[in-house]
Amino acid sequence: MVTKTKTTPEEIGHLLRRAGFGGSKKQIDDLVALGYEESVERLMNASDGNRLPDHLVWRYHHEQSGLMGATNPAAYWLYKLIGKEDSLTEKMALFWHGIFATGYNKLSQGRALANQIRMFREFGRGNFRDLLVELSKDPAMIAWLDNNDNHRGSINENYGRELLELFSMGVGHYSEDDIKEAARAFTGWTIGNTEYMALRAERDSIWPYGRLAWHYEYKEDDHDDGEKHFLGESGHFGGEDIVDIIVKQPATARFIARHMYSFFVKDEPAVPQWPYVEPQDPEAIDLLEKTYFESGYDIESMLKVLLTSDFFRSRECWYKRIKSPAELMTGVLRLSGEFDRPRREIFDRGQEMSFMGQYLNNPPSVEGWHEGLEWVDTGTLVERINFSSGQLGQEKYQGVKLILDNISNDLADGVSGEDLLDRCLEELGYLEIGEDTRVILEDVANEGGNVDGYTLKDRVKEMVRLVAATHEFQRA
Amino acid sequence: MSMERLKYNRTVGLCSMEGRGFYYPTDTSIGDSGTLYTVSRSIDGDTRGIRVTTYNIEEEYFGTFARNGEEPGELIWPTAITHTKDGNVIVADEYMNRITEFDPEGNFVKILWVSESSDPGLDGPSGLAVDSDENVYVSDNNNHRIQVLDRSGGLQCSFGERGAEAGQLQHPWGLTVAPDGDVYIADWHNDRIQRFGVDGTFVRSYGEPGRRSDQLYKPASVCVDNDGYLYIADWGNEMVKVMDPEGNVVQSLRGEATESKWARAFLDINLEEAAAREKSDLETEVGYFVNDPHEVSSHIEKYFWAPMSVKLDDGDRLYVTESNRHRVQIYDLNRQ
Repeated sequence: MVTKTKTTPEEIGHLLRRAGFGGSKKQIDDLVALGYEESVERLMNASDGNRLPDHLVWRYHHEQSGLMGATNPAAYWLYKLIGKEDSLTEKMALFWHGIFATGYNKLSQGRALANQIRMFREFGRGNFRDLLVELSKDPAMIAWLDNNDNHRGSINENYGRELLELFSMGVGHYSEDDIKEAARAFTGWTIGNTEYMALRAERDSIWPYGRLAWHYEYKEDDHDDGEKHFLGESGHFGGEDIVDIIVKQPATARFIARHMYSFFVKDEPAVPQWPYVEPQDPEAIDLLEKTYFESGYDIESMLKVLLTSDFFRSRECWYKRIKSPAELMTGVLRLSGEFDRPRREIFDRGQEMSFMGQYLNNPPSVEGWHEGLEWVDTGTLVERINFSSGQLGQEKYQGVKLILDNISNDLADGVSGEDLLDRCLEELGYLEIGEDTRVILEDVANEGGNVDGYTLKDRVKEMVRLVAATHEFQRA
Repeated sequence: MSMERLKYNRTVGLCSMEGRGFYYPTDTSIGDSGTLYTVSRSIDGDTRGIRVTTYNIEEEYFGTFARNGEEPGELIWPTAITHTKDGNVIVADEYMNRITEFDPEGNFVKILWVSESSDPGLDGPSGLAVDSDENVYVSDNNNHRIQVLDRSGGLQCSFGERGAEAGQLQHPWGLTVAPDGDVYIADWHNDRIQRFGVDGTFVRSYGEPGRRSDQLYKPASVCVDNDGYLYIADWGNEMVKVMDPEGNVVQSLRGEATESKWARAFLDINLEEAAAREKSDLETEVGYFVNDPHEVSSHIEKYFWAPMSVKLDDGDRLYVTESNRHRVQIYDLNRQ
């Protein structure tokens, strides 16, 4: 139970790490002055501003302007993650990308993937019914799950199956017959110029004038309009009718509630274990399910309930999530300010993220990524620490320079290791560290004060890099 | 009723990462005897694709030169290409902050100018033009000014400063020296064309910002004919605009590319793709993103997509280099 007290910077730091990608000391201080609830409102109604808008990015990255090969969708999205003021919408795009995982390796069409993420931005915080309809019409999804091969009289079950299993209800809540009937309802939902586009994707053809963007097309003459029996209901269902039936199922409410809890509150086991493992906080899931129905399947309402709930605000869940590589990298790059303008190095950052285990727009399978502790192994941990510490050690980046100046200007030569450490933790988002970590860092901070020729700035630089290397910094 | 100033002639080029064709081309220059030099930027993270392709309007292919790399004669982010009177080729690289000179056959001659610092040097050279005295004009993109070099690379002068007032620049991109010697600059971030005299004094501005067919949005390139008409690669609107000498938009083109000879050759030996293409409607008006010309151009193949450069030859032809479609659309000037 959260005791309602004055809003603290640590609590706002928690909010920003979960509803965004962390924040600077100044951002947190500004929100503390508003109070917690008003801060949530501010985050949920952030402006659509972007300091790295498309035209600026495309001016320098010509392939991100075009139809994009394998690596550029990730770099393109990374610019959005870094540049957009509305971090909650970007966070929700990441959320849906993890659930509706769609990848380049089958599509050979980066623009379709970028447009899918654009669709998540537009519909990802709205009505879940609308989102599922848009998803079913999304060209990338149609090609990814073969709905272009789903024909009247010759169904392909792939999309129908994943719509139920991975996108809405989860295993155990429908039958094999329901899958077949759903597939029948989605016959005729395809991409325009199907044969040519499928052939080009299969061959990764860029000829004669580069790739061609895809668009959704409904082919009435290929649609099976016969009667269908789906989840206990009967009728001449089309795709939208199937979605209407899905969204009113209790299993759907629970499925979305568990995903949101796992993404925003505490890491839950991977989805395949859900039928066998109860939620760690059943009351929280119940509250989110109730909101889902009471709001008419409105994701934004669920978000608001979640972000203002006691279970979200409770210190018990702070630092209980492992940041995904995208969250970690975005937070660090927002702090470091490396990309004050488009730079060729964005490609390198996209590659580094994939070395940490997350290749945006190219998930390992339709299941997406297994999150939580599965982000960390001996290899990826080294990548994560080296990246964080390396970035925040680059004084040439304007954000890093600002951090170092802010800290150095507040302190005097000979400052104690404890005070130096505390000031660095504040500047990196009011980070809280455990006692074991503190003892080690204070020792280093004190030792630095006893080295001849080692300036205050040197001590600050070293401590910022070390804080970025702590396990607490890897968590949200 | 006035005659249209531009009339479509043909399309040349093919998307190709190596050899014959282009890969994200940024600019084209016209050399002796009509030899065309198109410089390709390629994509980040791939060592193939960056090159200068030489060919002619009949699509006779002569070869390529230059490649990806940081050594002299190599390129990373090529932005612009032009010719000197002796037929040598100059290429700007906005990542290396370097201007490189090649002979007409593509052999490396020298680095004309390289900059380690932004002042008084370069930060993102992105447009090139040569005047009748062989001075080389360079758009110094991130310094928001124009730098003028002599033929040996010595800095002669610079003009322009950051801002949105008359005579100021924000991220200038392409530029040209008009027949009367004045310098016209695609003032990219200010959505306009600015004209300066030979001595660098501001003369006037052309265009107003916007998405309409008579407005400009992030123009990338400009050239001027003997009658004073301006041809503008309106990159942000995915169009080419023609302005009369008073600055009125008299024609606005969306693009009408057809199959080039190289494209036809590809389709002639890839029959399965050719057959599927034949049955396709590549001009479908998609029902979403309709107010976004960039998105529309990604669907409709004949439209301009990322027109980055406009150049005129001596035969009254306009060459429009389209980065995202890896080709050059050619138009005839009607000067009646």
